[in-house]
Amino acid sequence: VGCDRSKNLVDICGEKHFQAFVCDALSVPIRSGSCDACISIAVIHHFSTAERRLATIRELARLLRPGGTALIYVWAMEQEYKNQKSKYLKEKNGSKIKDKEINTGTAQTALSDQGPDNSSQDSACSDQLLNDFKDESCGAKPVADLRLPVHTNRTSFHSQDLLVPWHLKGGTKKKEESVDTGLVPGVSKELQELSPVFHRYYHVFCEGELEAVCRSLDCVRVQKSYYDQGNWCVILEKL
Amino acid sequence: MKLLTHNLLSSHVPGLRPGGGFPLRIELGHPSELPPEPSPGYEADEEFLRRLHHVLLEVEVLEGSLQCPDSGRRFPISRGVPNLLLTEDEA
Repeated sequence: VGCDRSKNLVDICGEKHFQAFVCDALSVPIRSGSCDACISIAVIHHFSTAERRLATIRELARLLRPGGTALIYVWAMEQEYKNQKSKYLKEKNGSKIKDKEINTGTAQTALSDQGPDNSSQDSACSDQLLNDFKDESCGAKPVADLRLPVHTNRTSFHSQDLLVPWHLKGGTKKKEESVDTGLVPGVSKELQELSPVFHRYYHVFCEGELEAVCRSLDCVRVQKSYYDQGNWCVILEKL
Repeated sequence: MKLLTHNLLSSHVPGLRPGGGFPLRIELGHPSELPPEPSPGYEADEEFLRRLHHVLLEVEVLEGSLQCPDSGRRFPISRGVPNLLLTEDEA
């Protein structure tokens, strides 16, 4: 049985006759200790604070019966590891987008160059996210610069907390190998004028970070910890 | 939603007593074909077993709702998909 926060995505599962329901990863409506195994693939890296990320793992552990196992995949900061580039980097196909990091402030200007329709939508998305992020950081460790960089798809990450553009391209989404859906590489300038761009928040994990978060929980044991095509992965066992 | 899925689900409305969210009451347009409890000797009752098999393995709820036993909060099921998202205020 599967679940996701997006009703539209879950409806697609329903159409394909899979058992799925809509819920939030912080509060999963499944009885404690009722699962032999759980997987969380490309989910936790969307939560904007360390506290919330820990809470999702704690919730995942709650669902497991003693001896049950969980598999977690999150996007890695290190897209090149042991001299091997991940598939995500390898499939860079000569995009015309400038390869530079831009803050959300200037992102509006840069993206509005590419078509009149995009600019207002982008500023709405970025501003809303910025306000949400500001609220999140109240009471948490103070952040010197609250502006989140907007990532250039198919390049290395320069920051752990960032916004990744998502281009809606004529209704069909390309599936990405590094366990992240919805990214379309190198969308041409012409296509960008037709399709809206959304900015999705990611916290990409450094080596050892996911493992450390899991180790801070008493109820689970880290069985295995590894790197796979641009992702940091753990297998947990419920104690 | 299959009955097997329903068996895993529990209401997660905050502030419930332990176990107070399970089982969610399935609300359909029409009454159930099964009695609330199996009668003694049901193993030999062919008619009952046939109806039980049907409900367990052949029925999927497409439209209806799930009701939390303690709080009464209803969660909708549409196109076979239960939506158990709490609102901002509830969570």
